[in-house]
Amino acid sequence: MILNDLLGTDVVDSTGQRLGEVSDVRFALDAAPAQLLSRARMVGVVVCPRTATSFLGYERMDVNQPWPLAQLLRWRHRGSFLVLWEDIAVMGPDGVRLRSEFTAYESTLPR
Amino acid sequence: MRKAKPLPAQDIKPAPRQAGLVLDAQLHLLDRQILDVDGVPVTTVDDVELSGPAPGEPIPEGTEAPHITALLTGAVLGTRIFGGRPPSSRFIRIPWEVVAGVDTVVSLGVRANSLDASWLERWMRDQIIAKIPGGRHDPE
Repeated sequence: MILNDLLGTDVVDSTGQRLGEVSDVRFALDAAPAQLLSRARMVGVVVCPRTATSFLGYERMDVNQPWPLAQLLRWRHRGSFLVLWEDIAVMGPDGVRLRSEFTAYESTLPR
Repeated sequence: MRKAKPLPAQDIKPAPRQAGLVLDAQLHLLDRQILDVDGVPVTTVDDVELSGPAPGEPIPEGTEAPHITALLTGAVLGTRIFGGRPPSSRFIRIPWEVVAGVDTVVSLGVRANSLDASWLERWMRDQIIAKIPGGRHDPE
């Protein structure tokens, strides 16, 4: 699967209610050590209810400068959340469908 | 397009902490420059190839999470302007196994000459630059 097929697609819950668009896909390098870098495992998708384009990721980091830009971009991406791989029922170019009883997590990146 | 229903803030829980380095593809991978083991620029990351279930097919519970199999590079300027993407066969793959680090640039653990991604540069060197008088040695 190609990542750009997934970015920007609609995310719906198990009843078909639209929750937003895929604004990013999160990976973690937490597999067994390999020769150079360990495997990048997909953790989940970052869903934004308002826009699929995420500029510089202000809403996911605690960067506050320049202040007006940070406030504007954070407001634009308010309500963004992370859905883990375990809660994804279908994923493809036509969109992402979540399982019933999915859990939404904060999309902020760990420091 | 249907309007999205924002989730109530109290339904969004703190994210579980991951054991290793966390990368968001758009923020940390896409459009980053790729340097080889000697610091020579190779190309940029235009797309990422994932393993895992067939697109659009239901994913059974307990399925292993996909992982990055390769970074892709190719002629994407036209499709970025006019939409769509090149067919998968037109991308050049840089396997994830040769990636040594992800920072402001993506660094590789191998030399650019061993990668398909640098074929155009090698072809230019061998077929054009080498035929120019003085093109086979350093400037004096």
